[in-house]
Amino acid sequence: MKLPPFDYEAPETTAEAIELLAEHDDDASVLAGGQSLIPLLALRLARPAVLIDVNGIGELSGVSASDGQVTIGAVTREYVAEESQTVAESLPLLAAALPFIGHEAIRSRGTIGGSLAHGDPAAELPAVARALDAEFVLRSRAGERLVSAADWFEGYLTTARRPDELLVEVRFPAAGKGTGTSFLEVARRHGDFAIVALATSLTLADGTISDARLAFAGMSDVPVRATEAESLLVGERPSAELFAEAARRATADIDPPSDLHGSAEYRRKVAAALVRRGLRAAADNAIEGQ
Amino acid sequence: MTRIAAERYTGASVRRSEDPRILTGSGRYVDDIKLPGMLHAAFVRSPLPHARVLSVDVSAARELPGVVAVYTGAEVEEMTVPGPDALSTLIGSAGPIPEFSLLATDKVRLVGDPVAIVVAESRYLAEDGCELVEVEYDDLPPVATASFALDPASPPLFANLGSNISRPHSRTEFGDVTATFDQADRVFDFHIDVHRHQNVPMEGRGSVASYDADSGLMTVYTATQSVQLSKIIVAMRLGLEQDKVRVIAGDIGGSFGLKIGASREELAAAAAARALGRPVKWVEDRGENLTVSGQAREESFDIRAAVSSEGDLLGLDVKMLIDTGSYPAMGGGVPDIIQAMLPGPYKLAALGFESTGVTTNKAPYVAYRGPWASETFVRERILDVIAKDLGLDPLEIRLRNVVPRTDPPAVMITGRPLVGITTRESLERVAEMVDIPAFRRRQAEARADGRYLGVGMATFIEAAPGPRAPGGPSGPMGLESMRLRLDEDGIVVLFTGQMPHGQSHQTTLAQVAADEFGVPFEQVRVVVGDTDVVPFGVTGGSRSATMTGGVALHGARQLKVKVLDFASHLMEVSAQDLQITEGNVWVRGDPDSAVPVTEIARRAADGEFGPDADADLEVVASFDGGEGGWSGGTHCAIVEVDAETGLVQVERYVVAEDCGALINPAVVEGQIRGGVAQGIGAVLLERSAYDQDANFQSATFMDYLMPTACDVPRIEIEHLETVPLDAHVNFRGVGEGGMIVAPPTVVNAIEDALAPFGVRIFEQHLPPARILELIAEADSGQ
Amino acid sequence: MTVDISLTVNGETRTGSPEARKTLADFLRDDLDLTGTHVGCEHGVCGACTVIIDGRPVRSCLMLAIQAAGSEVTTIEGLATDGGLNPLQQAMWDSHSFQCGFCTPGFVMQATAFLRDHPDGDEQQLREALSGNICRCTGYQSIIDGVLLAAERNRER
Repeated sequence: MKLPPFDYEAPETTAEAIELLAEHDDDASVLAGGQSLIPLLALRLARPAVLIDVNGIGELSGVSASDGQVTIGAVTREYVAEESQTVAESLPLLAAALPFIGHEAIRSRGTIGGSLAHGDPAAELPAVARALDAEFVLRSRAGERLVSAADWFEGYLTTARRPDELLVEVRFPAAGKGTGTSFLEVARRHGDFAIVALATSLTLADGTISDARLAFAGMSDVPVRATEAESLLVGERPSAELFAEAARRATADIDPPSDLHGSAEYRRKVAAALVRRGLRAAADNAIEGQ
Repeated sequence: MTRIAAERYTGASVRRSEDPRILTGSGRYVDDIKLPGMLHAAFVRSPLPHARVLSVDVSAARELPGVVAVYTGAEVEEMTVPGPDALSTLIGSAGPIPEFSLLATDKVRLVGDPVAIVVAESRYLAEDGCELVEVEYDDLPPVATASFALDPASPPLFANLGSNISRPHSRTEFGDVTATFDQADRVFDFHIDVHRHQNVPMEGRGSVASYDADSGLMTVYTATQSVQLSKIIVAMRLGLEQDKVRVIAGDIGGSFGLKIGASREELAAAAAARALGRPVKWVEDRGENLTVSGQAREESFDIRAAVSSEGDLLGLDVKMLIDTGSYPAMGGGVPDIIQAMLPGPYKLAALGFESTGVTTNKAPYVAYRGPWASETFVRERILDVIAKDLGLDPLEIRLRNVVPRTDPPAVMITGRPLVGITTRESLERVAEMVDIPAFRRRQAEARADGRYLGVGMATFIEAAPGPRAPGGPSGPMGLESMRLRLDEDGIVVLFTGQMPHGQSHQTTLAQVAADEFGVPFEQVRVVVGDTDVVPFGVTGGSRSATMTGGVALHGARQLKVKVLDFASHLMEVSAQDLQITEGNVWVRGDPDSAVPVTEIARRAADGEFGPDADADLEVVASFDGGEGGWSGGTHCAIVEVDAETGLVQVERYVVAEDCGALINPAVVEGQIRGGVAQGIGAVLLERSAYDQDANFQSATFMDYLMPTACDVPRIEIEHLETVPLDAHVNFRGVGEGGMIVAPPTVVNAIEDALAPFGVRIFEQHLPPARILELIAEADSGQ
Repeated sequence: MTVDISLTVNGETRTGSPEARKTLADFLRDDLDLTGTHVGCEHGVCGACTVIIDGRPVRSCLMLAIQAAGSEVTTIEGLATDGGLNPLQQAMWDSHSFQCGFCTPGFVMQATAFLRDHPDGDEQQLREALSGNICRCTGYQSIIDGVLLAAERNRER
């Protein structure tokens, strides 16, 4: 399982990287952590003519917070985000999801931007980005372009990034007062891709749900928001009956994939269970935080 | 003054001699080998499961810089001696032996079937070369299931077989089957499926072949369970005299039955090495290992059980269908062992057994740790179901049916005497260890909380090596031999045909020899893995503890006699008055007389003594297994099943085992735990998956899932007091038992956990989705 | 295309000119003759190829060799002190941690990282930390015991 031949570039600045992308367009793949791309190369499922390695671009890495927003550089290592105090305090949903990404050695190299640009619907970060309505910042010769999470994930392993664009950072809204979160995953083994995972965020004001986010991994070819369930929840007080109804709504019209690890019917049942459990955990988390 | 050694190595968890090199990364595995001028091979492989090969165009591949040679299947035929499968020819086959070429020529028979070999300066370049080979295929209908393979309309994989029957139907009866069933109070009918899964050692297959044209000597470095068997096959296929082939094995990264003989790829690579005059390395990658190296266990059973209303299992009538995959390996022989072992340790009065084997477009059915394990699965599964139906406890029904240990021993209906079995003791001990009544209370409380806990047990016996047959040897594969020598440095050297791949033979055999000869453990060296120096042997069948432990014991004693005889000349004392302890020869009762063994050895090597003294301090010993004996035990698992997600956690796992006398308890426990882990894997995670058109679906570790440290609990093991049968050798094998009995143990526990849903389980692979299906099916009364 | 690189491996400066596509695992094994790092799957699941890079455990089959330029890499060969065994290796020897040895280097490197970062970690944490390394022989208990024994001995020192 040896990698096929390719040319290799290691730009040192964002500007250089953008120039290379303009030059090579869809003949190039961006190499960040490599934890998703290198297996594809080893299996010879991906055959880029050029690999543009962005690991040397220091300015693409870092976690910063301001004005209720947390900005994470695309090449920020997952383990750095995991250890970040800012992420722990302001992005509890991301903090909850990060330990589910593979294993420690994967998170040593894997990057926040890399995972999101790869766009695997069974991965954890896409679901988190969808749940939080993250904003994707792209740069190219043409300048900067912002894409919302709702528009970012277009299909299976397909994002809105144009071949000449570089994802430079992702912006997440910081969790507001009264917010509780949970990230639950059903996988075959600890560290595996999700069969189904659910990122949940609930905001309570005076005991009533003022904001509800439910985003699934593994239920479609992209991460999916359970918008019908979310609208049911807003304005209501948490209860087991409410959560059970939310679970029904979240899985009524969904058409999950079938594969070796689970049938569509199985995924639907598990998704419903995760909604019930995830909402309860997020509600408890919100109440604890008050 | 010399100290008299008080402790024995045998029975102690002596630290392994293998470990210093393994822990520091200094082991030498096949892929670590680098020879001057060495080239690397990769194979062009079929993307289709069943097709005619119309043309193979290697011209572009040959042009690629760095590619040194490309050989098609037809060219490889010209470089080798065509013939029937060597292993089947040597070991024997129950059915006709299929005819096929080493690499595919006229047709391909499974996804991954090798069609051409590319040899290049690096594996990277060899794979690049493979992509440039153009093969034209003409699709044939895939034979993807055993049921289609039985259909005469299915296109035969092998022209000379004329059909897809690899092992023709046969039936045997033991006892009066008809009468037993006629007279039974109850007759149960079951259908049980065992799914395809596979060995997956962490190191794949591979070899480095090097041919010296001047001497005509072919040297093959390989990973194998028997260097001598590999040598025989290499010689056969390459048309070489046996003494022109040398097979060498170093450290081997696991095998579990996979690496036996020489694979088609290794033989092609050896032929290429000879043609090119440069060493050729081929080491399979994980995709190749999962796709083509071999798989096992795909068999189904129709079972009728004749039972008394009190729960006596009177008779079984079993019909087995085994999917032996494409190329022949071990599958054809499995039904015979299953037939022999089906009665287990129970008082079965009658057995009818029939089987058919079929070829399909899947990987060959190879030996996988306890190849006959399905007999235990089937028997232990149906006992639980029968027990539930009759309102009996699973422990109760087993105790009722277990054969008591008598003298003379009871004989299995299929012929072997159940001498020395401790099944009853193992069942009772496990029940104590688990405290089932306390568990039942906990289970009830958990159910009230919507949590589903279950307990399951299973028991087994294994012919490791099995009892002595009247007038015959105990061990399968006959005698075991060993050469033992006291070399001139005073080291006791054991030359054994055993080929350890994790079994710790270099430690355990040294323990036995050290004790019997009388030197410290560090003064014994075990030599393995070179056909120039070791006798014939195969590591497999859980036989080495008895056969090799036994030949080491007897051989060391024989060597001691020889050495003492020699020493008696030196010390001018009768040999009867001499003993060896802690590396010194001394006169009994006179510690000051001690002469180090090293000195005896040196003086023998110097030729110091007269022509009467036999200074060749070497013996060749052989051992037939002595009285042999059974290994066995009972396993018990406690599981929790999440009824909303289908995920299963094994909470506790308990073993009461009897493998006779232990040479090294830590080694025994490691073997059991590793086998149990594979059994847990089989039930919860592992499946070699094909779609309905025989396309392979689990070619990476993303889809073929193996248990991790979060999936295997602590496994508590107690060693039962064994029944010694032999005056000297009571070590019995333990390598396969864990994998044989863990699957029914876990499945029994899962069914118990799901009892409130009325689930009945007649299969072995229970991923989460299947668990939810079983619950839904039971709910809807299916 | 090839790229000239220089990196520190087990405390020594090493150089090479690997092809861009060559993985770090293959570079260590083939170019630097450090065959202690093993290749078990080449797609980042089994963990046999685990090394430590700039203090972090990394799957060397999922890194291009040239990406390690300028880094400090520690492999299994770099652990033993004065040709002997370090305390973790010693504890694993005492605990009969391994059988065939193929997975061993990856486990030892991953456990090294764990002991450094979680010297008082409990069994469950340890099992999770090692769940990205596959062993086919042992059922893991003996490996867990070896690491916990090393931790205990470290505390006693």
